[in-house]
Parts: sequence; C-alpha cells; structure tokens
Amino acid sequence: MEDWKTNRSVFWTLATPGTFWLVLFFLVPLAFLFVLSFSDKAIIDGQMSINDYDYFTGISNYLRSLNSDIISIFMRTIWWSFLATLACLLIAYPIAFGICFAPEKWRPLLLMLIVLPFWINLLIRTYALIAVLRTQGVINSALGFAGLGPFEILGTSFAVIFGLVYVYMPFMVLPLYATIERLDKSFLEASLDLGGTQFQTFRNITLPLTMPGIVTGVVLVFIPCLGTFLTSELLGGTSSWMIGNVIQNQFGPANDWPFGSALSLLLMYATFGVLALRSLLQRNSKGVDV
Amino acid sequence: MAELLKPGQGPLDYGKRRWLQAVFAVTLFVLYLPIFVLIAYSFNVQNRSGVWKGFTLENYAKAWNNSDLMSALLNSLTIAFISTIFATIIGAMIAVLLWRFRFPGKPAYEGAMALPIVIPEICMGVAMLLFYARTGMMTGMTHLSWPFNLGTIIIAHIAFCFPFVAVVVRSRLVGFNRQLEEASKDLGASEWQTFTRILIPYMMPGLIAGALLAFTLSLDDFVITFFTSGPETVTFPVKIYSMVKTGVKFEVNAASTILILITVVATVIAMKFQAPEQSGH
Amino acid sequence: MSAFRQFPRHSRRSFLKGTGAAFAGLVLSPRFALAEEDKKLSFYNYDTYIGETTLDDFKKATGIEVKLDLFADGDELFTKLKAGNPGYDVIVPTSNVVERMVKANMIMALDHAKIPNMKNIDPAFLNPSFDPGRKYSLPYQWGTVGIGYRKSKVEGVPDSWKFLLDDEKYAGRVALLGDQEHTIGAALKYLGFSYNSTNIDELNKARDLLIKGKKIVKKYADDNGQDLLAQGEVDLTMEYNGDIAQVMAEDDDLAYVIPKEGSNVWEDTIAIPTGAPHPENAHAFINFIFDGEVGKGITETIHYATPNAAAKALMDEAYRNNAAIFPPADALAKCEYSAYLGEEAVKVRDGIWTAVQAA
Repeated sequence: MEDWKTNRSVFWTLATPGTFWLVLFFLVPLAFLFVLSFSDKAIIDGQMSINDYDYFTGISNYLRSLNSDIISIFMRTIWWSFLATLACLLIAYPIAFGICFAPEKWRPLLLMLIVLPFWINLLIRTYALIAVLRTQGVINSALGFAGLGPFEILGTSFAVIFGLVYVYMPFMVLPLYATIERLDKSFLEASLDLGGTQFQTFRNITLPLTMPGIVTGVVLVFIPCLGTFLTSELLGGTSSWMIGNVIQNQFGPANDWPFGSALSLLLMYATFGVLALRSLLQRNSKGVDV
Repeated sequence: MAELLKPGQGPLDYGKRRWLQAVFAVTLFVLYLPIFVLIAYSFNVQNRSGVWKGFTLENYAKAWNNSDLMSALLNSLTIAFISTIFATIIGAMIAVLLWRFRFPGKPAYEGAMALPIVIPEICMGVAMLLFYARTGMMTGMTHLSWPFNLGTIIIAHIAFCFPFVAVVVRSRLVGFNRQLEEASKDLGASEWQTFTRILIPYMMPGLIAGALLAFTLSLDDFVITFFTSGPETVTFPVKIYSMVKTGVKFEVNAASTILILITVVATVIAMKFQAPEQSGH
Repeated sequence: MSAFRQFPRHSRRSFLKGTGAAFAGLVLSPRFALAEEDKKLSFYNYDTYIGETTLDDFKKATGIEVKLDLFADGDELFTKLKAGNPGYDVIVPTSNVVERMVKANMIMALDHAKIPNMKNIDPAFLNPSFDPGRKYSLPYQWGTVGIGYRKSKVEGVPDSWKFLLDDEKYAGRVALLGDQEHTIGAALKYLGFSYNSTNIDELNKARDLLIKGKKIVKKYADDNGQDLLAQGEVDLTMEYNGDIAQVMAEDDDLAYVIPKEGSNVWEDTIAIPTGAPHPENAHAFINFIFDGEVGKGITETIHYATPNAAAKALMDEAYRNNAAIFPPADALAKCEYSAYLGEEAVKVRDGIWTAVQAA
C-alpha cells in the first residue's frame, strides 16, 4: 500500500466521486435524521403541531425508548435474529462445505443453485412463502395426505424465523464458501494422516481456519435481520413486531418522526456494535481472510 | 471414521458423503418449493380460495395488458440500469482507492462507506425524503419528463448500491499481484494505461459481480424507492406491494414469474460471462 | 388517532367485467375551460380504486392525461405529502386524514363553482363533522367496518365484537385488522365507549382487553382478512365491508355483519393537496368523477357504496339492495366516523398499540 501523498492526482481522482456522493446524498440526509432525533413536535397555541418541530429540545425521544414495551420488542428482535443467524449457520456450513468438496466442474452450478433465489425480489419470495406455509397451503396439504396436521405455521414466531432464514441464507453461504474454498486441504490431510478423527480435524483445524468466513456470514445475516419489518409483518401473528415495525409505525400512522429517528439511530448504533465485535474477532483469528 | 468409507472414497471426498448430499437436497427443495408453487399458481384459474381450479394463461394476458404494471416494470428496469452503471464506476474507484492507498482517517472513512450497507432501509428512506423535501430537489426533479423524473430515485439507489460494489471489487483486488502493476509502469506504461490494461481486466469478475449485485439491489428495493419517488414514478416493487397488500394477486403471480425469469436469465448470463475470467486466478 | 392504514383497496378488476362498454358513447363537451395548464394531472390513489376506463374516458373528454401513482394505505399518503407536495394534483384521503391534513395546511380549498356535478351528491354527505360545508373534500366512497364470517363454521350470526375480542369460542380462527385506529376502536365500542375516545382509563381498558384477547386472534391482518376468510385460514375477520362484499360474490358461505355494539363508518374523500401544479385540471377531474355515468363505471369496478346519487340511481337492484354495501339504517346509526383527535391522542394510542404488539 502506498501513501496518498505519493500520487495525489490519482488519489483525488479516485476519492472525489464516491466521497461526494456519500457525503451529499447519504451523510447529509442522515444528519437531518440525527437532528430530528433530538427534537420534538412544536407546541403551537397549546396544541402539538402536526408538521412543525422544535429542534434540539433534548434527549426525550431516547428516554422514551427505555419504555418496557420497546425494550421487550428490542429483545425479541435480537433473540429472533440470533436464532435465525444460528439456523443459517448450521444449514449453510455443511452446504458450503459440500460445494467446496464437490467435483470442480459442478461447483459453480451448485453455488448458483443456492444463491439464485437471493436474486429474486424479497417481497415476491416472502409472498411465495405464505402460500406454502398457510394452514391449507402446500405443506399442510402434503402432511394431510400422510394423515398429519394441519399445523398452524403462519402467524407464529417460527414462521418469522423460518422466513428470515429463507431470505438471508445466501448471505451465509457465500462467505463460508469463499473461506472454505481457499482452505489448504493439506492441513486436513495431515491431521487425518496423523490419526486425528474427522471430528477432531473439524474442531481443531477446519473450524478455526474458517472462522473469518463464519464471522462475516454471521454479521451479514444478523444485521439485516435486526432491521426486518416486512418478514415479521407478512409472516408473523399477533406478537411478531420487531423493532423495524415500531420504526415503520412512527413514520407511518403514529406520525412521530423524532421518535422514529431516535429508534432508527439506536438500531444503527446496535449494528455498529455488531461490526465492532466482528473486527475484534477477526483481529484475534488466524484463519483465511475473506 | 475412515472405516466407514466406501471403496474409492477418500477421507476428503466430503462431496460424496450421503448426509451432506441429503442436507443439500433438502435445502434446495425448501428454497425452491415456494418459488415453484408461486409459478404454478400463476397458471391457476382466478379464485380467492387458493385452490387449484385449472390451467390458464389468462393471468399472463392480464399482466401483459395491465399498462400500469408494465410501465412500473419499465421504470424499475430503467432505474436499475442507470444506477448500476454509476454505482459500478463509483464503487470500483472507491475499491481501488481503499486497496491502494494509506491515508489519515482511513478507518473512519471505511466505516462511513459501510454505513449505507448496514443502515436499516427505512432510516435511509426517511432521511432521503427529508433531504429532498428541504432542499427543494423533490419538486425540482419530479416535474421533469421521463426518465429524468426518476432522478431522485436513481440518486438514492446509487448511494446505497455503490458501497456494495466497492466491497465486492475490493475483495477481488486483494488477490492482485502488485508486481504486475509495477512491471507495467517500469516498462513505461502510464498510470492510465496500467489501469485500463492491467487492473481493469483483473477486476472484471468483481466488477461483473458488483454490477449484478447493484442491479438486483436496485430492482429489489421497495422502502427507499417509496420515500424518494414522486408522482408518475411507480416502480415494480411499489406496485407489487400495493397489489399484495390489497390482496390482488392473480396478475401478481404472473408478473412475479416474469420478473423471476428476467432475473434468472440475467444471472445465468452474467455467470457464464464471468466463468472464463476466473480461471486466471 | 392515527388514521390510516385504511384499506387497501381492492376492487378487483375481475369483479364486474365490461365496464368499458358503458363509456363507449360517452363524450363530454370540452367545456372545461382550462387556463394555461398542461394537459396533465397526477392522481394519487389506492391501487385499483378507480373505474377500469375512467382515466381513459377523462382523457377522451378533456384531453388531459392522468398519471396514477399508488399508495397501499392512508398513512403512506400522509407521510409522503407531509414533507411537501412532490407534485400530486388529486388525492384520496380518508375522513380523519382530511381533518388532519386540513389542520396542517396540506389541503387546498375547493372552488365549488367549478364542480357543477356536486348536485349529484347525496345531500346527506354535504355537511360532515370532519369537513363542515365540504370546503376541502368531496365524498368518493363510503362504507363500514364489521365482521366477515363463514356461515358454516359459526353458530348463528356473530353480531358482536365479543367473538373477536373476548370469547374464546372461536380462538385461533379470528383475524383483526392490523390497524390501531380500528382495532382499538372496536375494543372501545365493545366496552361501551366511543370509537374516538381519548379518555386514558377507557383506552387502558381497551388495551387490557386486546392483550387478553390475543389468544383468540390468529393474525392482525394487513387488510387482507377477506383472503384469509376465503382461503379458510380464519372463520371470522374484522374487515371493511367492500372487501367482504367482494369475496361474498364468489362464495355463498360468507357473510358480513355490523356488530350490535356499533362500529366505524368511514368515508374516502377526494381532495386537492396544497401546491398541486394543476388545480384547474384537478377541479375538472373531480367534476368528471361526480358525473352519473362516470360514477356508475367506478362503482361497478370497485363495488363500494357511492355517495353519488346519480350514479347509484343508474345501478341495478342487486347493488342497491346489497346489505353488505348499504347497511340497514339502525345498524348504521350506531356507527361513528373516526375523528382526528390531535397529536397527543395519536401518541397515546400509539403507545397502547405498541404495548399490544409487545405483549
């Protein structure tokens, strides 16, 4: 890597468009949100205004998020995101492993088969899931032939978690595939030749070496899960609001943009926390970098 | 474990393990079942009960004749196309910048670049709405004629797409042998020549993957589009969302199937195009 | 109270076909003198909440091209216009949204002189509480919120909110609207209070009822309760009458009732947002909508109750006598309009709704 001073013209040429775009069309708008989160609706003639704000009135919106309802929805969001991420990991790891050890000519095809649904519109996929999970949907009809069910799947927390796994799984497979593929297979051979069992080899060699892929995958799945609102709204039942739904509601029916902004920023800080954890983990691991 | 292996199966032939194959098969089944059900239902005779009533192509005819739906599709494809071009160029430049240079405040800069990736869509959507409204850009742009009235949406799409492109391209650049670049310069090539003849060809698979990602993200986006769109700029997801929410679904299935086909064909073409390039590394 | 989340509208095109034919011969004289406005109009509406050929016919009659943009629920409309009108000429807000938007100066006063077809409107709609004297809005469609149910799965007529909120008899087979205005409103009605109550004790009682009643409810539906009902996912659903009327036409086993405790009567209005670029065209369009034949075409497509008396007179018996669309007067007498209750009340209700979702 060279210092930017060695070639200033190239540095500035490369840096200008992206920085300009990011600052003007992302950071400045975000600053609007930041300011709003410290504001309140103006009181005009003793009535709370619909559309005007008093700026920089304090941190009342942040204090409001300490409300027990909001906290329990936050906890639910984190718990479900965790479960969904864990499920993704447990399913995606063997899959990525299987692809990497498949005959070389098959690998791109297998990878594409797994990733292809990801390119299909999120809304369409979620909507397709509903038809499958319904009480009288495909799964229950099939179970009905076997004399089982019907099971109420739609409208449960299971449906939401299932939906999250369904939607975000490719985010887990891709980084895992990238690390496992670059894994030096001779390590595994050496371990097995020296009498290690498959399990020992996996635990002591494969797992630590593929840790960066795992961490990246976990981050890539966990973060979008935190911001979910569509999946929980469409697949969930009566207790399925996640924090994204609360935020959505503030910018919608509740018309409380300052509170919505504060919640959005809190959610953003939570994702920063996850990212910080990631760089910490990655610094301590010695695996294959992704 | 070795004793469990069948003849001809090495200890590392994990791809031949039955249980791995089973996991793979089940996952594929679960992944594709809803999609195939959706496609199958697009041929169903219209009814609300969700029961199979017979095969028909009527839904496709309806979707095709639904000019709102078709113009929404055209809008979405136009937005995705233009955003992808800009996002790919800007993203690639940022990728090269981050890969090549050391500069003060780099970690913070990288963090800022990652923001559009990690921020919940709704935050960005509302932030953009506030920004456009307060700066007057919204009214300024939405009165222009097509496709310039899509400008507000395109600007926002570029903003959230290019950091994704940067990440993808940068991960490709990590494997680049810098001596190639030095050799090129030693042999008298200019900065520009080195860039176009050495670096760009090397980046190509990353550029294609990044462009494809940007295209899909743009085509997929509902939330940010909703907040940044003006009149006359209904996009496909916005149209689908209002149709699904209101329970109008027959044409939705047909239109979704068409969109699925478009995405699948585009992805397959891109993968084919990308394949020979990869053999180089 | 936060309005919205009203209906996604529906109005299936499949509902009544061939509306277009009715318009084939309809030519209006181009007497809409249009000052120097472009021949354009931007119409912001629910999806398929207009006659199949209405916009084309308007273009034929006046040369004005109508561009349609869509919102999925009323809160989207409000949110989008709140930061400034991005260029819409005609919008379709619900009654309480009108009130809120008028308070926030988001709606322009109408020039009644430019809307001679106002004479076609049923006089009962000309002086509502949310817009006295119809200064800002005209009635587009109206209806009620009630219970849609499957006759073969329910004993008798479930004519009380009890079966959706309090009685475990049909537990797990019930859907409510995922809409704070109506779900809290229904709970208030069941408890004997006003749909528009701002009394904190009453609201807390409604909250406790809703939380306790969660074990009865399978889903807070996104206004697609009619589909859940038609598919057999639920046997009782809280819904807008027009939605249920649509599924009733396909399935004889379905019916609609307004609970005896009373419910909500809503009205979607048509209005011009402040800052509309083509106000002259907008007036011409609104006038066009209230033409008898045009109103008939809209009603035949979307199948809601029309306040356009001239249009109603042109409709057939089956429509005019449909009890799901035009409820009996005594049931209607117990229904209330949703009022806009002020931002503080909205905040309180939102807190209650969040508590219900969190529980």
